[in-house]
Amino acid sequence: MSEEFRETLPLMDFDRELGLVELLGGVNNKKLFDSLSGLLGMPFCICTTNGDPVIGTREVKMDSRLPLRAEMETVGYLETPTDLADKSHSAVTYIELLLHSGARYLMASTLHLHAVKEDYDKLQEKHAALLESESRYKDLAENLEQRVSEQVKTIESTQLQLYQAEKMASVGQLAAGVAHEINNPIGFIQSNLVTAQSYVNDFSELTKQVETGDDVKTTRAFLQEKDMEFVLEDFQGLLNECIDGARRVSVIVKDLKGFSNVDRSEEEIIDINEIIQGVCNISVREITKHAELNLNLAELPMTRCKPAHLGQVFLNMLLNAGKAIKESGEISVHSSLEGDRIRVCISDTGSGISEENLKRIFDPFFTTADVGGGTGLGLSVSRDIIKAHGGEIDVESTSGQGTSFSIILPIVS
Amino acid sequence: MADFDDDANRLVLKLVFYGPALSGKTTNLTCLHDQLQPELKGEMMVLETKNDRTLFFDMLPLGITAPSGLLIKLKLFTVPGQVAHDSTRKAVLSRTDGVVFVADSQRNQSINNAESFENLADNVNRVGLDFDSLPMVVQFNKRDLPDVLTEAEVMTRWSKMPWPVMFASALEGQGVIESFRELLVQVYQSIDSQIGLQKSHSLSQSQFVLGVLGEGVGDE
Repeated sequence: MSEEFRETLPLMDFDRELGLVELLGGVNNKKLFDSLSGLLGMPFCICTTNGDPVIGTREVKMDSRLPLRAEMETVGYLETPTDLADKSHSAVTYIELLLHSGARYLMASTLHLHAVKEDYDKLQEKHAALLESESRYKDLAENLEQRVSEQVKTIESTQLQLYQAEKMASVGQLAAGVAHEINNPIGFIQSNLVTAQSYVNDFSELTKQVETGDDVKTTRAFLQEKDMEFVLEDFQGLLNECIDGARRVSVIVKDLKGFSNVDRSEEEIIDINEIIQGVCNISVREITKHAELNLNLAELPMTRCKPAHLGQVFLNMLLNAGKAIKESGEISVHSSLEGDRIRVCISDTGSGISEENLKRIFDPFFTTADVGGGTGLGLSVSRDIIKAHGGEIDVESTSGQGTSFSIILPIVS
Repeated sequence: MADFDDDANRLVLKLVFYGPALSGKTTNLTCLHDQLQPELKGEMMVLETKNDRTLFFDMLPLGITAPSGLLIKLKLFTVPGQVAHDSTRKAVLSRTDGVVFVADSQRNQSINNAESFENLADNVNRVGLDFDSLPMVVQFNKRDLPDVLTEAEVMTRWSKMPWPVMFASALEGQGVIESFRELLVQVYQSIDSQIGLQKSHSLSQSQFVLGVLGEGVGDE
């Protein structure tokens, strides 16, 4: 029987009924035979209940047959030619002691095997579970890097979307003001052009008059009638106004364009003041409802930066300042050169920020505005942009007196 | 789960004394060995112990013959109570026909009792038996000791359970036979419904119980 096959055999019950052969299995048959022969002093045979001899032989006629009991039951017989009362009973007792001892051994050892197998099975189960969890962790470890980089990508793209949303929100706040800014010149350009059209009609009538008229007198009378001198003068004026209006529109569009391209955000060598000017141009209408805007811009060296991004920062500051002023006040933008760095200071005389909120204003999603009133990202994004430029942003505020943001940027050539 | 051998005309029943370590399971068995006088009583088999603690099991075989000639052997086992021997306990418990749960009445043993009882329920299920229909008696042993739970306290906790609760002092031989008698009644009913002890073997419940206890089987 192979070792493997033996292992797969089911264990026998430890409390099964045991037969004579099994019970004597652990006894040395020859020694038992010799000692019983000595004790009995005559031939004998130990046989099963079926009569099969186990120890000794039936060479002579056996007239005596004594039952051998184990666990209250007869499991076999001791056969002898004659019943030597005392000796036979001693032999039976002796054999029964052996049977009892054999039963003890067999039961304990089989039970022990059961317990060992049970413990072994439990260990196997634990082992299998451990292997499984080990392979799970191995998988995890192997995929960790990939998963982290996927997560980072997701976060980065979400962040970019948030920044863009924030940008759109700021620009959205300007829309009404900007629309008005553009509408104004368009309005008078339109009205001027209508007038100009009527002047052109006058000119075409004059041309006919000159071609068909007989005398200069009539022509002169016509000129007088149409007040051509005024028409010419006014026409010139109209066109100048139109050109000026168109230029204003084009400036606004240019400033707006600076904001629409967050993604491109190319680096340029530019005068920071130009960015400030552009931002003020498009936001002036929005922020000067209640406030007066004062610019105090010192001459600055050109520096390498991302104008669209810095513009977003300044716009944020200005819009916040505008919102902080409820009835009347002043917003001032001040730029200056401090050694090899540029300082831009945007202050207002508005409601200020409480000490508690001041600690959190740069935290993402922190906002004191009502739901829908602000993304809570404006200052967070601004700080990120300034940091990306290698600069610093600071805030000072006194509740009820106003707030001052100070931005410091290195000069990069 | 009774082991009925038609050829040998023999029915073997297995009854297990379960309970926490040192609650007196072996003492119960010794007491039964000393006090019962059934038709057949084998030698009590006591396996290796260590500091009075059972490592494998103890076994006491008892037997009666039904009027039909059927030999009914009852093998009474104890299990090792210590937590570490759970695999042995489970193996001893397999195919059992009834359980005496021997609890320790001392106040400081309540947690051990509860844990052992839970372990019994687990193992009964693990060996494929139905805990709800298994014949069982709960015995609160060691009534002779000081600082034990009062009978009223025990009953408030256990009276809602379906099993009879008995009180015993096995060292003094009190209540052990009574607990065993309670179990025999349940075992008879369970086996009778399986193989028809009354119908096929003309063995009544009282004949069975009195026969095993050795109380006047000769009178009938």
